[in-house]
Amino acid sequence: MPRSIATQKALREWKLYFFLAPSLILVVMFSYFPAASAVYHSFFDWAGGETKHLIGLDNFRRAFGDQVLWNSFKTVSILVVFNLFKMIPSIFLAVIIHRIVSDRWQYFYRIFLVIPMIVPHLVTLFIWKFFFDPNLGALNKVLDLTGIKEVLVQIDQWFGWGVFHANASIGWLSQPELILPSLFIWGFPWIGTVGVLIYLAGLQSIGKEIYEAAELDGVGPFKKFLYIELPLIVTQVRLSLVLLIIGTLQGYGLQLVLLGNAGGPDGRGMVPGLWMYNRAFISGELGYACAIGMMLFVFILALTLINNKYVRVDK
Amino acid sequence: MKLFKNRDSINHAIVWFVLLIELFPIYMMLQVSFKDNAEFIKNPWLPSNPETWQWENWAFGLKLITPYIANTLFVAVTGTVATLFLAILASYFFARQKMPFSGFLWSAFLILMLMPGVANLVPLFNLLKNLSLLNSLLALIIVGVAGAQVFNIFILRNFIEDLPNDLFEAAEMDGANHFQQIVNIVIPMAAPIIGTLSILAFLQKWNDFLLPLIILRDKELFTLGVGLIYLDGEYVKQWGQIMAAYFIASVPLIIIFLFCMRLFVRGLSAGAIKG
Repeated sequence: MPRSIATQKALREWKLYFFLAPSLILVVMFSYFPAASAVYHSFFDWAGGETKHLIGLDNFRRAFGDQVLWNSFKTVSILVVFNLFKMIPSIFLAVIIHRIVSDRWQYFYRIFLVIPMIVPHLVTLFIWKFFFDPNLGALNKVLDLTGIKEVLVQIDQWFGWGVFHANASIGWLSQPELILPSLFIWGFPWIGTVGVLIYLAGLQSIGKEIYEAAELDGVGPFKKFLYIELPLIVTQVRLSLVLLIIGTLQGYGLQLVLLGNAGGPDGRGMVPGLWMYNRAFISGELGYACAIGMMLFVFILALTLINNKYVRVDK
Repeated sequence: MKLFKNRDSINHAIVWFVLLIELFPIYMMLQVSFKDNAEFIKNPWLPSNPETWQWENWAFGLKLITPYIANTLFVAVTGTVATLFLAILASYFFARQKMPFSGFLWSAFLILMLMPGVANLVPLFNLLKNLSLLNSLLALIIVGVAGAQVFNIFILRNFIEDLPNDLFEAAEMDGANHFQQIVNIVIPMAAPIIGTLSILAFLQKWNDFLLPLIILRDKELFTLGVGLIYLDGEYVKQWGQIMAAYFIASVPLIIIFLFCMRLFVRGLSAGAIKG
């Protein structure tokens, strides 16, 4: 009987459960318990202390009428689109490095790619914040030097945006209209080291003879990409796509660092995660923050399930 | 130009162009760190004359950042070792023996991979408050270890399952218990993947700033992230000092990078193929 064998085994090897116990206890305490606690507290009016009032669905009703929350969902959707676009340079860079014949140069470029990773993420963000500075920042200086600013001013006058002015410096992080563009520009040229290395690993399975055959058939560089290279990294691209969408929806560290806890001028950079952080730790409405967290949670979970169904990631 | 084959030269040019922009922030950080504000406004782009280099910037940065680096190193090293140690034990449990409930327990772990952790922050804060762990580095370590378990167990289980069974049987014949099997077989055989996972875990803990920001109150306990955020909040900014501090904040990673580059590039590539 299989059951008794299993039981015997459990009796004989019971000590093995101690191997799992520490991880299990940690996960239950710091992942499962907070999740359950978030669900529970989202039904309370709670400021973090002992006193809390059960208010049923009021937090959720308030959230549905909360204009800031709706706008933050809109903003984060735009950011997801931006970030999808920002995946492209990494893919192209990986393909270009892969097409370089010399293995030595390939390895050399890989090392150079890893160098930006030695700068802590936060420092990268602060350096970008420094670049965005209206008077001292590198971005405005580059735009002045290259004459792109004049072009921008011309376009501005043509369309009547009133954003760029010939005599004033551009306030990337202080003009409400420029918050979203700044969140797009930051990190240019948008190379993700880990992404490039993973794509390169996928590309490695293409033999040189396939390229030679393609060349004999007169296949152009773009068709080579479409028919030879892209199919081989499609799994990795899908995986980074899924991780990127989830990461963008959850993330708010970028906005917190660049724009502050109110999401910048007019709250144009407010995202749901930052609004949850703001409600919890700035205004002390922990119950409401839990409700926002729950809504975001359900939203992301639904997307993940759809992803898993339609965008298969082969393990 | 006999350096590259002709067909490649466009590709090389593109890669160099991208790399130069990519490395531009690091260049700026380094050259501004030697200037005072007046010098920087006069000459923002090019490095200044070495005779006028402001070494005081670096002295200031060192004094400011070193305690934060010490705290962060403590958290990241302890956290990484504990993460990997516990994850190896747990993945051995899942990979080597089919125990009763192991299927159920495995799904309990796996579900967490799908669950977004964003809603956890507020209750986590409250939990740590009730455990009187607010304003302590221990809290950062524990939460970090707990959060990293699922991913590491997931990768390590696959790896340990692929190790040849004969090795374990031979060890069992010799009377090795499970812990000895882990020390003598799993850890040496899985050393490359453990190395890669360690670097990833370390980087993650090094870069974390959201949790420290809400937990830590005392200046003596600040980790790098919180320290840098407070530095950014200063009203009058001495860019040279700030940039020197940023660069010093990167030094530990530079050292790790020098020693583990190969492991990192290779490991990431190999791990990616396995999925």
